[in-house]
Amino acid sequence: MSLLLQIIVNGILLGGLYALMALGLALVWGVLNIVNLAHGAFIMLGAYVSYYLFTLLHVDPFAALPLCMLSLFALGYLLQRNVLNLLVRAPMFNTLLITFGIDVVLTYLAQIVFSADFRVVNPSYAGSNFTLLGATVPLVRALAFAIALGLTVTVWLVLAHTRLGRAVRACAQNLLAARLYGVEPRTVYALTFGLGAALAGAAGNLYGVVSQINPYIGDALTAKSFAISIIGGLDNPLGVVVGGLFLGTLESLTSLYVGSTYSDVASFGVLVLVLILRPKGLLGRTT
Amino acid sequence: MAVSDVSFELFEGEILGLIGPNGAGKTTVVSLISGTIAPSAGKVLFQGAPIAHLPAFRRSRLGIGRTFQLMKPFPGLDVLDNVAVGALFGTDGGKSRLRHARDDAAYWLDFVGLTHRAKQRADELGGPDRKRLELAKALAMNPRLLLLDEVMAGLHHVEIDEVVAIIKKVRGRGITVLLIEHVMRAIQSLSDRVLVLHHGNKIAEGTSETVLNDPKVIDAYLGSRRK
Amino acid sequence: MIGRYYWPTLAAVLVVFAALPWIAPPVLIQFGTTTLLLATLAQSWNIIGGYAGYASFGNSVFYGIGGYGTAVAMVQFNLPFGIGLLIGSLLAVVFALLLGLPVLRLRGHYFAIATLALAEAMTGVVSNLDIAGRNIGLVLPLRKDDAFFYELSLGLVVLVTLAVFWISRSRFGFGLIAIREDEDAAGVMGVNTTLYKSTAFALAGLFSAMAGGIHAYWITFIDPASAFDITLNVMMIIMAIFGGAGTILGPLVGAVLLASISEVLATEVSAMASLFFGLVIVVAVIFMPRGLADLTRRFPGLGWRYFRENLRLHRL
Repeated sequence: MSLLLQIIVNGILLGGLYALMALGLALVWGVLNIVNLAHGAFIMLGAYVSYYLFTLLHVDPFAALPLCMLSLFALGYLLQRNVLNLLVRAPMFNTLLITFGIDVVLTYLAQIVFSADFRVVNPSYAGSNFTLLGATVPLVRALAFAIALGLTVTVWLVLAHTRLGRAVRACAQNLLAARLYGVEPRTVYALTFGLGAALAGAAGNLYGVVSQINPYIGDALTAKSFAISIIGGLDNPLGVVVGGLFLGTLESLTSLYVGSTYSDVASFGVLVLVLILRPKGLLGRTT
Repeated sequence: MAVSDVSFELFEGEILGLIGPNGAGKTTVVSLISGTIAPSAGKVLFQGAPIAHLPAFRRSRLGIGRTFQLMKPFPGLDVLDNVAVGALFGTDGGKSRLRHARDDAAYWLDFVGLTHRAKQRADELGGPDRKRLELAKALAMNPRLLLLDEVMAGLHHVEIDEVVAIIKKVRGRGITVLLIEHVMRAIQSLSDRVLVLHHGNKIAEGTSETVLNDPKVIDAYLGSRRK
Repeated sequence: MIGRYYWPTLAAVLVVFAALPWIAPPVLIQFGTTTLLLATLAQSWNIIGGYAGYASFGNSVFYGIGGYGTAVAMVQFNLPFGIGLLIGSLLAVVFALLLGLPVLRLRGHYFAIATLALAEAMTGVVSNLDIAGRNIGLVLPLRKDDAFFYELSLGLVVLVTLAVFWISRSRFGFGLIAIREDEDAAGVMGVNTTLYKSTAFALAGLFSAMAGGIHAYWITFIDPASAFDITLNVMMIIMAIFGGAGTILGPLVGAVLLASISEVLATEVSAMASLFFGLVIVVAVIFMPRGLADLTRRFPGLGWRYFRENLRLHRL
């Protein structure tokens, strides 16, 4: 029984990180209607920023989090302002393609610059664990989980209660009306996309601490972020949390009971099912 | 509930006008007939047979054609091909050969007066021409019943007269017409009978004279202003 | 482009391509075969993505099924290649029809993602099948005859292009175009959208599967990663779009051009080739979203304004 508990705890810890990963994608998708296929590449870059800060400047990965977020925010902002804005009124498919192109460019640039070797961020406390309810919890995973959840809640609060948040939501609902109220869509779009990228950067930073990184991790993470966003529903940041926890636990359980090679099949199988049965996700609004 | 408890009959070969203030449910009625939405209760019979369970494309095969209030031309196709789609897929499955369909399309373009625009991209057309295109597309389907949803909205006097003439030609071919309009002039000169909807209910039915002088109808149109 | 020289030129090009194995070095023939298979994929995608407007990001699934069907038939059941190819193709068609039904009900982004997820999932599913050799894959019988595979691939490209040609001037094709331009209006006008979408999907699957089967036999090897290679999806979509989705020759031109340039770059640094692809997509989508076909048609009239027009239409 305690093995099951361990697996579930692993799943939840993983799920928290997954939720943060998916949050940036869901935000940009829900608000800007941009499906960002380069999202995973942003996560990958965040991980590399963290890695190099750690290896070259000995900055603790958790302390490097703000820097990762800031640098990715800048990248996202610039990309949206100068490249993606060119396609706002084009068919959705064009945006899909261009984010795909950006994904390819970032991935292969990373390979050229960073090389394809696997890297790991190993702070001194990487090996320490503590026990909780009979399950072993690695310290870094617990920290990652806590930060991930904290960021998610913060973002949700910002969107719901600040002026920027309202501006963002206004643009999402009615561009013309938003303009009439003095909101400059170009800036808001760029800020939102930048925020999505920043969240991806944060996820990458945390990911680098719990797992190996190389330039190619992006695609699988993008796919997982999709799965989580769709399973949880796009309208609701809480949905992303639920989706993330669900997927994390599902993968953990599948690994144990069916076989580790099946965990991806399980997640994607669930994704396809949700798309078919309830495209708005588990927590999405039905109207 | 957009429409509730609306029952009426449409007789073959007649032009039935459907009027009512905005939001009365007129487009909903048309959508229920064309198959765009399904009724939650009640029956829809076409030539005696129930069709409420049929998807939209099957109803087209039976001979029900409609125009959309928010005009939907096929943007990437030229005007002729837009109409050809109607000819290819209309009543009884339409034509099987593209060439025949294009010939039909040319005929209908002439019928509505759009021949000079045949080779232009459909999304380059201005408002009034788009209405004619909508009409031609629906006519190319060779419908037995034509549902027209505010075909005259936004047109000025001369254009309205032209469209009225076209609809008279349509009736002359034996096609039954259900006409949703706000332009009373058109309703009066075209309709054999008129139906009035308000808040999703039928509030009057009769000739255009009776209906337009009915105090309930006048009240419905002016009612919101009185308050 | 329907000039008097259209058909003769096309025929001449075809003859040159067919004669390649006798006049070109082996390296070029191999490159040719790969390019022709990619062209087939791009052209198949054109049917569902270009004409019907349903941008599938998972057609690699059919390529893989075709490859595995052929491989399993030949390796586990000792059937000849022709039968294996037939089996692989049939499997793909059945798969397309079965999975098409639920998945084609989704629109836009959701459809794209569902197909992407399918493709990703297949890799996992197949790597757990014993009959398919699990993660290790299968080794097919050897047939050392590059010319054979080259001509076969050329034949396939011609076949799928003829199919697209027929589609473009048939009632079926018009139905697909109507669905692409406005699915609801198409339905109201009498198009059986479900039937037509499924058929387009199955057709795309059929030709993709045949390409997969030929490829598997040619390189005598198949494993989950190479069979369901996700980057194939990318390439076929880019090639079709760059050349001109919804046109007859666009995807072919796109495939040949992009494959050639990528090949030249790959001899330098292999990552450069992929990087190049990424940049091509970004630039093409911004400045020439309708592909080369539209560019060649309208550039003579508009000149450089063509690019500015595209920008102006789509920017914020």
